[in-house]
Amino acid sequence: MQIIKTDVAIIGAGGSGLRAAIEIAENYPQLNVALISKVYPMRSHTVAAEGGAAGVVQDSDSLDQHFDDTVSGGDWLCEQDVVQYFVENAAKQLTQLEHWGCPWSRKADGNINVRAFGGMKKERTWFAADKSGFHILHTLFQTSLKHPKITRFDEHFCLDLVVEDNKIQGVVILDIAEGEAKLIQAKSVIMATGGAGRVYTYNTNGGIVTGDGMSLAYRHGVALRDMEFIQYHPTGLPGSGILMTEGCRGEGGVLINKNGYRYLQDYGLGPETPLGQPKNKHMELGPRDKISQCFWQEQQKGNVITGDRGDVVYLDLRHLGKAKINERLPFIRELAKAYVGVDPVHEPIPVRPTVHYTMGGIATDAKTATSLTGLYAIGECASVGLHGANRLGSNSLSELAVFGQLAGQQAAEYAQQTEHQATQPLQEKAQKIIARTEALLNSNGSEKMADIRQEMGDCMEEGVGIYRIQASMQKTIDTLAELKVRYQHIKINDKSSVFNTEFLYAIELGYLLDTAEAIAHSAIARQESRGSHQRIDEFNTRNDVHFLKHSLAYYQADKAPIIKYSDVTITRSQPAERVYGAASETKEK
Amino acid sequence: MSTQATHAQQAVVDKVIEIEILRYRPEQDEKPFPQGFEIPYHPDMSILEALQYIKDHLDSSVSFRWSCRMAICGSCGLMVNNIPKLGCKAFLRDYYPQKVTLEALANFPIERDLVVVMDDFIKKLEEIKPYIIPERDEKCLSEGTYQQTPEQMEKYAKFSMCINCGLCYSACPQYGLDKSFTGPAALALLARYNRDSRDAGSAERMKIVNQEQGVWSCTFVGYCSVVCPKGVDPAAAIQLLKVESSKDYLIGMFKPD
Amino acid sequence: MSKRKPYRREMNNDWWLKNIFYSKYMIREGSSIFITLYSLILAWGVFRLSQGEEAFNAWLSALQHPVSIVFHLLVLLIALYHTITWFSLAPKAVDLYIKGKPLDGKLIVAGHYITFTIVTIFCLIVIML
Repeated sequence: MQIIKTDVAIIGAGGSGLRAAIEIAENYPQLNVALISKVYPMRSHTVAAEGGAAGVVQDSDSLDQHFDDTVSGGDWLCEQDVVQYFVENAAKQLTQLEHWGCPWSRKADGNINVRAFGGMKKERTWFAADKSGFHILHTLFQTSLKHPKITRFDEHFCLDLVVEDNKIQGVVILDIAEGEAKLIQAKSVIMATGGAGRVYTYNTNGGIVTGDGMSLAYRHGVALRDMEFIQYHPTGLPGSGILMTEGCRGEGGVLINKNGYRYLQDYGLGPETPLGQPKNKHMELGPRDKISQCFWQEQQKGNVITGDRGDVVYLDLRHLGKAKINERLPFIRELAKAYVGVDPVHEPIPVRPTVHYTMGGIATDAKTATSLTGLYAIGECASVGLHGANRLGSNSLSELAVFGQLAGQQAAEYAQQTEHQATQPLQEKAQKIIARTEALLNSNGSEKMADIRQEMGDCMEEGVGIYRIQASMQKTIDTLAELKVRYQHIKINDKSSVFNTEFLYAIELGYLLDTAEAIAHSAIARQESRGSHQRIDEFNTRNDVHFLKHSLAYYQADKAPIIKYSDVTITRSQPAERVYGAASETKEK
Repeated sequence: MSTQATHAQQAVVDKVIEIEILRYRPEQDEKPFPQGFEIPYHPDMSILEALQYIKDHLDSSVSFRWSCRMAICGSCGLMVNNIPKLGCKAFLRDYYPQKVTLEALANFPIERDLVVVMDDFIKKLEEIKPYIIPERDEKCLSEGTYQQTPEQMEKYAKFSMCINCGLCYSACPQYGLDKSFTGPAALALLARYNRDSRDAGSAERMKIVNQEQGVWSCTFVGYCSVVCPKGVDPAAAIQLLKVESSKDYLIGMFKPD
Repeated sequence: MSKRKPYRREMNNDWWLKNIFYSKYMIREGSSIFITLYSLILAWGVFRLSQGEEAFNAWLSALQHPVSIVFHLLVLLIALYHTITWFSLAPKAVDLYIKGKPLDGKLIVAGHYITFTIVTIFCLIVIML
């Protein structure tokens, strides 16, 4: 077994992992960084983000407004000190990306342009047409190439964390091409593996978004926080779930039902705004949780369109005209044409809500440190406390820049004060991990992986979807427990070493099942409705007395997780009613 | 990397399409061989989804890379009927009822099945200094962003759209014949930075451009731009760099040492 | 011991016959041989001119041989093909912007054809006169 000593190991080379790596390379040049990713960095799912990144730049805007939008958008489940740090640093970190070459869309005078986004009171979303994530990721990857202290381990799959003396001391990774494991001995580790959207059947996520980091930390006793909060993006393509950015609505796109009616006005988001004149926090610029819920309501009323690819409503961009669509939303046009055969210049796009984002994740403090000494977590796999019960669109791309930088700094500071421990005990641990992995490879059961995966995705949609009730959540929990048992008996046909993707899918399925379990159990325990966790049984309202709290799911091997709660940090915004549309204006007065 | 819901349920049962994959399993095979599969045909189904169907239901050992399935991550490049394509952006409806043949991207060594060895391609991207080299010191964050007008952006915008899928390398016979050629995507990326108003690193990068294996290995076949799924037009980037390189040469002739 | 064994596919000499795009490219490249030959004939004519009227007339009459005429027709076709292919590629080497937008490729190609037509007509007039 190859043993590689480094100072900081980063697992995941998407936006946040790369940002952290560059932070360390630039400001702690004496430290070595191992940047580990199961794919080449530019394949990471940051690449698929479209709309943009929030950061206050306009004179009419303020940090307080960004703070208020984020906290109310998160239904007061945000850590307010974290939100404060975030809004103060967002524009600065987006500027940093600009200095590194990110081609943000500009105004005619050469300054940064910003667009409107859901739940945001002012235009503050920096964008690079509708490929913001793509440009951020490529900018960061290319900038990372400047730094020889960053050693990349591309296409290396993380098998487990090595914990000794209650500290993280390294990770065991599998070289996918070789089929051989390596021990990376590190003083600190940053988890930056992204979300877990693939636990659901219909999602906007890439195939690699399988909750690896969440599950790894969770299995080592770190809590997964607020996992019940799953964001459905209101506008995914039917069938595939491919994302149609919120930027479509930010630019003036509207949602209509089968009668051509802008139904959002019936659900507290009105009054109807004139076509082509989007108004912040009104109608189509409401928050994602609410707009996705409106779809479900319309579906109940029979107002949706039933097509070959299932029930849809229409996202209508036609009034924007060809020139604006080509300038601001060229990728959307390309995607709609290719995947549903619709040119948005001439026809409305069929859309439906699809799973998009996990608000929860590995619990960290305000400075990205987890409860496991030496382990930090950032980005979608982490719950630093920014998004609360519902994330506002465009806050997560800024999050990866702000907290990627912070985690880099924190992990570097920690590594500087720490010495490498003896390698021998770590090596023994690593051998055990490898033995366990080989046992999985050699499993010769009869259960088909594809079936387990499909049943998991379907039961998650069923039980912990847009609206939830006790009975169906319980059913999901039971199904997941059964699937975990069946997972013990899966069949892996391919026993080879070189680029064995069947084996990787099997490990990922294990990660997915654990993450799914944390989601379902956190959901059933939250006996209230808040943000994206909406129940239509007796717990259909928010209950601040009992549940103004973060949920914490703790892993129990072969048993249901234990759910605990922790307090929410509230600095200056006391919980209030969460209102959009006309009501938000009344409230302000 | 788990596969998504397949079209198995939706497929029109009586229609099938034949997919032939050039298999290569290094631990078992001396050389690649074709293997045929019959799968249920659905017009919406992409080549990638066809592969997922095969892996989930017919032969779990078939290996391929994929992730986003929306033509932006650049993972799933392969040869479809001998033409480089993204698997997620090529659809069965464009081939049915004919057989579809799939092969790993040309001009790259085959690691296994449809997976190629990308090392040389990645190395080339790394070598062309694809990052802003500022004029003097790095600009301070408190000074705010650089000014860059939409016109200035337009100069490099197209060349910044590359998703690193490698299709252009597999379309380039010059790269096929001589692997030392820097190649289309890397040169387009180089042009992207040279043409960015924030960058002052042109002189450094022109050393790479001017080499024999820089732009001058290109004979302007132009197929790279045809197969590019993102409209990057690497052939144009290279021709523009040839103009720059010629200027460098001429100036060099008249400049005293 | 690594179990990797990357397989390298050789490019056969007939690679350019397997894809129509490559075939067209090879014809374009191959056409330059004929254009070179034609240029050599012209250069030979200039050389003969320098040797006096008789030598030049001999060169002229040689051109009227049927083989020569067939050759010239062939070269004309090939030269046209060469021209069309290069004109279609011209936009890639042009770096012109109007009001911040790159000049439309069709305009660049059209510009080439217009220039080509004017020069051809001019040459024909000169020859006729």
